Amino acid sequence: MKDLDFAGDKAFAKDFLSNFADAFGEAKYIKIFQEVANRKSRAIQIELEDLFNYKDVDEDFLRRVTENTRRYIGIFADAIDELMPEPTEAFLDDDHDILMTQRSEEGTENVDGADPRQKMPPEIKRFYEVYIRASSKERPFTIREVKASYIGQLVRISGIVTRCSDVKPLMQVAVYTCEDCGFEIYQEVTARVFMPLFECPSTRCQTNRTKGNIILQLRASKFLKFQEAKIQELAEHVPKGHIPRTMTVHLRGELTRKVAPGDVVELSGIFLPIPYTGFRAMRAGLVADTYLEAMSVTHFKKKYEEYELRRDEEEQIARLAEDGDIYNKLARSLAPEIFGHEDVKKALLLLLVGAPHRKLKDGMKIRGDLHICLMGDPGVAKSQLLKHIINVAPRGVYTTGRGSSGVGLTAAVQKDPVTNEMVLEGGALVLADMGICAIDEFDKMEDSDRTAIHEVMEQQTVSIAKAGITTSLNARTAVLAAANPAWGRYDLRRTPAENINLPPALLSRFDLLWLILDRADMDSDLEMARHVVYVHKNKESPALGFTPLEPSILRAYISAARRISPCVPKELEEYIASAYSGIRQEEAKSSSPHSYTTVRTLLSILRISAALARLRFSETVAQSDVDEALRLMQMSKFSLYSDDRQKSGLDAISDIYSILRDEAARSNRMDLSYAHALNWISRKGYSEAQLKECLEEYAALNVWQIHPNTFDIRFIDA
Amino acid sequence: MVGLPYDFMANPLGAVRLTFEKAMAAAEASGSDPANFDGKDWGVADLFRQFLFDNGGLSQVPVLNSTNFKRVQPNTLVRFRGMIQDMLGNELYVGVYKEGPNWRTNKFMDVSQFPMGSRPDMRVWERRLLYCVPVPGQNSWVEPSSEAVINCYRNGTSQQREKRQRDDNTATDPMELHVSDDEFQGSSSNKKLREGELPFESSKAQDFVSESACSSVSMVPTFDKDSLPCLVKIYDSPESDLKLNDVFEFVGVFTFDPELVVKDDTDEFSDLCDDVLANLPPSKVPRLHCLIHRKLAVHDFISNSPVMEVKPHLVKQIRESVLGHLTAVLGNDGLAAHFMLLHLLSRVNGRVDTLAVGKLSLNLTCFNKESVSVFGNQLTLAIMNLLPFTHRIPLTVDYLNSASLAPKKDYQLNRLVTGVLQLAEGSHLTIDETQLKAGTLNSVGVENARLLKNLMQLQKVEYDFKYYKMEMAADVQLLILSEGKSNILPADLVLPFQPSSVDSTEPVATEALEAWRWYLVTLRLLPNSIDPELQKVIEDDLVAARQADRTLSSQDFSRLLTMGRLMSLSYGETSLSLEHWQMVKELERLRRERLK
Repeated sequence: MKDLDFAGDKAFAKDFLSNFADAFGEAKYIKIFQEVANRKSRAIQIELEDLFNYKDVDEDFLRRVTENTRRYIGIFADAIDELMPEPTEAFLDDDHDILMTQRSEEGTENVDGADPRQKMPPEIKRFYEVYIRASSKERPFTIREVKASYIGQLVRISGIVTRCSDVKPLMQVAVYTCEDCGFEIYQEVTARVFMPLFECPSTRCQTNRTKGNIILQLRASKFLKFQEAKIQELAEHVPKGHIPRTMTVHLRGELTRKVAPGDVVELSGIFLPIPYTGFRAMRAGLVADTYLEAMSVTHFKKKYEEYELRRDEEEQIARLAEDGDIYNKLARSLAPEIFGHEDVKKALLLLLVGAPHRKLKDGMKIRGDLHICLMGDPGVAKSQLLKHIINVAPRGVYTTGRGSSGVGLTAAVQKDPVTNEMVLEGGALVLADMGICAIDEFDKMEDSDRTAIHEVMEQQTVSIAKAGITTSLNARTAVLAAANPAWGRYDLRRTPAENINLPPALLSRFDLLWLILDRADMDSDLEMARHVVYVHKNKESPALGFTPLEPSILRAYISAARRISPCVPKELEEYIASAYSGIRQEEAKSSSPHSYTTVRTLLSILRISAALARLRFSETVAQSDVDEALRLMQMSKFSLYSDDRQKSGLDAISDIYSILRDEAARSNRMDLSYAHALNWISRKGYSEAQLKECLEEYAALNVWQIHPNTFDIRFIDA
Repeated sequence: MVGLPYDFMANPLGAVRLTFEKAMAAAEASGSDPANFDGKDWGVADLFRQFLFDNGGLSQVPVLNSTNFKRVQPNTLVRFRGMIQDMLGNELYVGVYKEGPNWRTNKFMDVSQFPMGSRPDMRVWERRLLYCVPVPGQNSWVEPSSEAVINCYRNGTSQQREKRQRDDNTATDPMELHVSDDEFQGSSSNKKLREGELPFESSKAQDFVSESACSSVSMVPTFDKDSLPCLVKIYDSPESDLKLNDVFEFVGVFTFDPELVVKDDTDEFSDLCDDVLANLPPSKVPRLHCLIHRKLAVHDFISNSPVMEVKPHLVKQIRESVLGHLTAVLGNDGLAAHFMLLHLLSRVNGRVDTLAVGKLSLNLTCFNKESVSVFGNQLTLAIMNLLPFTHRIPLTVDYLNSASLAPKKDYQLNRLVTGVLQLAEGSHLTIDETQLKAGTLNSVGVENARLLKNLMQLQKVEYDFKYYKMEMAADVQLLILSEGKSNILPADLVLPFQPSSVDSTEPVATEALEAWRWYLVTLRLLPNSIDPELQKVIEDDLVAARQADRTLSSQDFSRLLTMGRLMSLSYGETSLSLEHWQMVKELERLRRERLK
């Protein structure tokens, strides 16, 4: 009965292989067979998904294939044998082919072909390997989930490769020749160990009772490349309080040399037991080791650009994008356990998104990565923010300024102890290429080491001229630095420049320098006390008031956003230019400037705006993006400005008034639209509520009139 | 127990077989497949639970230790108390197979009773392998006195003896047992054993190497020669039940099969085909097929303590005496004794984000060479007598540079090599920083210092899996003795130690000691809450304190609240009262005064 079944299945396999059409309507597998016949490739991968999509497949067949995969590989291989076309291109005969022709010629002369040992096994004729690949639709298993009940089945698992053996030949068909009768004898090897033959089993030798001496022919035997590897569960799949499990994987033929220790891979394969052999089996047919016979190897992709979205993720992103508040929502979901710091989080979100790289016609490159420096008092959660960003980014390196020397950050030339050759070893910045490099304790770094970063931050390369090696390595990374002010804590009696204490050359390379000060404030103290008491009382964090997005969704959204490269429309150019010149003038007026505004600042504005446009999935930068960029730049030094204002004796309301009056005077107009006013004051770091308060207060003084519906402002000329 | 066809103690497998046959009969009557028993229990656990707990059989079961394990009969019931040090993954075995018309099971056995080839009528089941070691740092008083063990063991064996006298008299030696028992293999097995000795020796040597590597400084008593590891095979229980570093008592079938030592020559075929068990020869590591397991808390180790209820006046009395003892040990420094008491009562009782709530590490400063030799040793001794699991690390540059503190995965052996910081919940760790001198740390030293700091601040230890690190939660009480404030190990509490007198402490009565031990392990587990009214008071106090002193951070707030909780616990109360809060504030004030 069972044999009959298999014959039917073979017919079906044949039908499927010859008739399955891919998306372009071509017979997919016949095309592959032709390539194999022409010796262009060796591997034939049968996708389970194709089988699933095939028109008249029945569930039962599919189930049989997944549950008894090894048998069905044989069935498919038999089917392929019959379907294999003649080569259409000439190729050089190798030893194997010559042997095969000889054998087939001899075969016709041979009279006692009835001997099963002498019949050529199909394996020796095959010059291809058949793999059945599991469907990639479902989530792969973790090693832990592969239970005894999966034995013999096709499974897909993910893990990290921890050990790899050398590639060794594995005998698939042993070929002997008999000294007496001269026959070739074949022995198929299916296990790791086999018992070699010692006597010629041919009918001639048997009838003559000669016990022909047989010799193993290594040249004629068929070998397979064989490699063994161990994979281990990924850290995120291990339940709390457990240690990762491992599994042995056997890689054969074309799948060898595909993995190296440390690779994160997804494997599909057949979960099989290795019965103990020899003495141990006799005693204990009890326990068995298991291994995974690999069928396909896929490396996990880590870069944004290669991030493939799953369907449900796509839907979720689409839903998020429709929601207007995406900018705030994403920003809040960064490090949700850190209270407040919303604007800092917004800036970090923009760092993750970045702007597109630009390459000018003359070959000059303008970087798109945003660099941010967080400077602030100890204990304002800078390091936690850094670490969180590294976790969200698909490729991130965290290092501390103290812990890394200049070479540790950029690249080092080292002598290989074995070959005595000079080799280049990439440092943290090179390793973070196309990702994010977070440098903590930036201020504690040696000055000489810090200069190594200058090149990386603007040119995005690392140049090496050491020990006869001159080269430059790519380091297209966004730098996120955290530093303490010069005297550990921000000293309000000193000027900002003294406090920041970073050379202007370095400072100007940061798109945003964020000052986070820990201020004495009754409300925040009470907030903190409440938080701590709550935590101790309830053993959990107080509710956040919103549900943060999962890091995986965040990553998916950002990767989707990074595919867009927005451009600045003509009409905005003037606006940006005037904003820039405004900042320059302000700085010139001030006695102790808080920032060094250079052309780089202009580029920063453009970069931040582009990143904002990317977040909206928009191809063009809007004015609101530029305004938000200017606002962020302003907010980054807000804690200083508010201090200045206190010194100059102006409260927020009168400051807003003076801003608006100046603006009106500058444009020589008597009326200001509300939206325009809001833009201006938010750039200076005030809120809408404060603007409204100011409008009401001064309207009461009859300084201006407010339009009752639109809130537009009209100055009353005295 | 009369009338039962099997003896739970001497022949637990008989009970297994009988229940299996009964269950099979029932299954066949209802027409269900034996494969349905996969991962299920057919009544064995209940039977043994009844025998062990309801009928008080547990105390009769011998506790496996290094002195008696060579003498315990294979296939008898034993128990083992230990910490799960490593998880070796799953092992597949033939769960049931058909022998003639009957189904038989291999559950709870290493080796099948009948020789068997591969046959169609068998089902492969799986069991989990756990590598367990005695709890690291266990103090000598914790073990039930050795006399009791031997008695217990004798009782156990004498019963067996009577039944087995005819079988063989040499059965106490497993090696001889093997020779005499395996007549069917005759001399060939003897020869095989000879051959087998070589790989066995080498693996022993290998073990020795890994041991000496992991405890390069002999101060670590984790792997001394008396400790006995045990390979426990777990059936049927959900994975989440047993976690790494948990302390369990396993009751199960002890098996010991010297023949499995013989290495298969197939292993030469591949450098990766390393059988985990090959590194754990059964002659060194006994196997235990677990029937019942139960998690042990620290108080389960205070074996012969009076079981008392938490009565307020009694608790107060003991509290006074403990405090008196600590004060004497600390050279009449009452303040230090107060803080020490709170420290000894602390435990991690919750984790919020990165914060471990409830930890209270203590840093006693102002020690010098002389005072550390007097008070340090006195203190260590006192803590050893009070708590079941204690450790002491002398922090030197050499130690930091060479010790392996974090457990590390060895991919050659496929084992988790333990480190000093792989500790069971509720262990106490004293770090003596007074011996630290100026010197250079290498990369190992920097890493070790970082590990200690992480343990201190987050109560987490990073286990090194080479390709990634995994953080494991820990719950360790940390005490640091140093000359100045320790900057490598920032403790929650820093207190200058000011002894006023050096009087040798008097020997303590055993009853008092037992009462103190009971007090410390019981009270720390009490629940505690904060009333809403008091919460308001505390919040206001904290804000006021921060207004006065800007350097107070949320960590300080957290520490004060922890101290408040521990203070009320030390009186056996379950909610914080204003009085105790005031006491904490007073203690804090006194501490700050000393710091000035």
